[in-house]
Amino acid sequence: MTNALEVEDLRKSYGDLDALKGVSLTVPEGSFFGLLGPNGAGKTTFINVLVGLVRASGGDARVFGHDVEDDYRKARDRIGLAPQEFNVDRFFPIHEVLEHKAGYHGVPHDVAAERAERALKQVGIYDKRDTRFDWLSGGMKRRFMLARALVTDPDLLILDEPSAGVDVQLRRDLWDLVTELNERGTTVLLTTHYIEEAERLCDEVAILDRGRVVTVASPEDLMDRGTDRVVVTLRDPPASAASLSAVLPGDDRIEDVSLEEGRLVVTARQGGLVAPDLVRELDRAGHEILDMEIKRTSLEEVFVDMTRHDEGDEDGRDDANEGAPDDAPLETAAPGGGEGSR
Amino acid sequence: MNGDAGAVDLTGFLTLTRREVLRFLRRPANTFAPPFITNVLYFSVFGVILGERVGTITGVPYILFILPGLVVLGAVSNSFENASFSIFHGRWNEYIHEVLTSPLSYAGMVGAYVLSAATRGLLVGGLIAAIGWAIVSALFRPVPVEKPAYLLAFMLVITLLFASLGVIGGLAASDFDDLTVMNQFILRPLVFFGAVFYSLEDLTPLLRDVSLLNPMVYMVNGVRYGFLGVAEVDPRLSLAVLAGMTAAAVGIDVLLFKRGYGLTD
Repeated sequence: MTNALEVEDLRKSYGDLDALKGVSLTVPEGSFFGLLGPNGAGKTTFINVLVGLVRASGGDARVFGHDVEDDYRKARDRIGLAPQEFNVDRFFPIHEVLEHKAGYHGVPHDVAAERAERALKQVGIYDKRDTRFDWLSGGMKRRFMLARALVTDPDLLILDEPSAGVDVQLRRDLWDLVTELNERGTTVLLTTHYIEEAERLCDEVAILDRGRVVTVASPEDLMDRGTDRVVVTLRDPPASAASLSAVLPGDDRIEDVSLEEGRLVVTARQGGLVAPDLVRELDRAGHEILDMEIKRTSLEEVFVDMTRHDEGDEDGRDDANEGAPDDAPLETAAPGGGEGSR
Repeated sequence: MNGDAGAVDLTGFLTLTRREVLRFLRRPANTFAPPFITNVLYFSVFGVILGERVGTITGVPYILFILPGLVVLGAVSNSFENASFSIFHGRWNEYIHEVLTSPLSYAGMVGAYVLSAATRGLLVGGLIAAIGWAIVSALFRPVPVEKPAYLLAFMLVITLLFASLGVIGGLAASDFDDLTVMNQFILRPLVFFGAVFYSLEDLTPLLRDVSLLNPMVYMVNGVRYGFLGVAEVDPRLSLAVLAGMTAAAVGIDVLLFKRGYGLTD
């Protein structure tokens, strides 16, 4: 299968600032790929290299096999970009903006008009077709950004923070639409701050931090690396956690046992599997359980953990590039280096 | 691609050209009304009121003498302004990304910006010529067009040249003030010292020689030759030099787009 995106050792420097420090990624055709990272991680720089708005300092990037610099015209024609910023032509009604965008991609005017109409209907703002962008509401603007990305019938749809600042309903509408497009074969590259979005939509995510890829994995795999919290309310909790620590001896999934406000808190990997054993052992030890809650680790927590920076961690690692193991312990996965920026 | 590369480029080029032309056509209050009013004033004050005192220059009434220069002034400033504003405004609001992220070739992008800006220059030049024709015809005699081929050729070349320079200006500007500086402090002095309102024969030999360093002199001279059939500088040489400058400016535009000057990080 052709890869939608193949990036090798991509670098970008702004003077002394290294925004991308050798990013390597492969996005298979038809996949729904998430690019996560904190502000300044280099996500937008990465995307802008693909579409020609940023010139790479080194490395290679190919879109469906077309080099983004040497074969830029074919590469750009395959991409539909919905950027984070509202970089829309303010002089024309939105249906004309879409017609123009399609026209720049070689779509004849009459076909472009049909595509514009279809795209506006897809995102639900067709009745605003004669309105200029500035007069749209915030949510409609975000919808329009997606329509503009779709009007060229892209094979690779790049969504840079598509649901930033939109309400829940609109976010779900966008999710449904993008999921449908992906199911019909469009490759989707999504950057988002909403980890839940990546968790729900993406087949695979890359975590980018300080210009490096920290890891590439499925959301499920990443969450399995995190720790869950099993919180148990006992009728007669002991004064200290020491006696409870012995309840589950030898279970290497358990990382910590503590008492918090009279409740037993067990921190463990795969908390859902640990919980039955915990109940059984507590019962066997004579404890009466009043309530139990499993707080599953979220992708967000894993993300925060992986992008947490400690003092003196300048020598980061890039353990998730192709061929590199992506199951390294989380504690060692946090990279170092300078701040990236767009 | 959405078609073969050549067809994509042609459609993209035509689309961008159309977009650019529509932008100024739909805002006549910003694009055509100012030169209309300004030139009615120019013709009235300089041509009619002062013209009566000046009498004739190179054998033609003063108002007729200044008409070609005013046409050039309007044409080049509008060509320059259209290209520089459109590109800079697109950069400022980042919607030029709609073009930059498309499969349009760099030559296609430049061609569209230059051609549309030159079109505005030609339209404004035509508008000024029409104003002058109406006033001059009413007061003196119909405005002649002695060398229509030269007139057309000079108008095409100078509008294309200043549209190309406007592209450079739009890429180089970092603020709207820069556009004002380019227009008011560079372009207008060149035009006003370009023998629009006076004949080179009226200057001292030194000032005449200095004036010949001003490319605007050749443009005004060429357009005046097209209207009146009289030239102070060889029009064929002027046309050749200006055509060469235009080709060079367009080449620089394409190179700047290719390198992403002012466009990419």
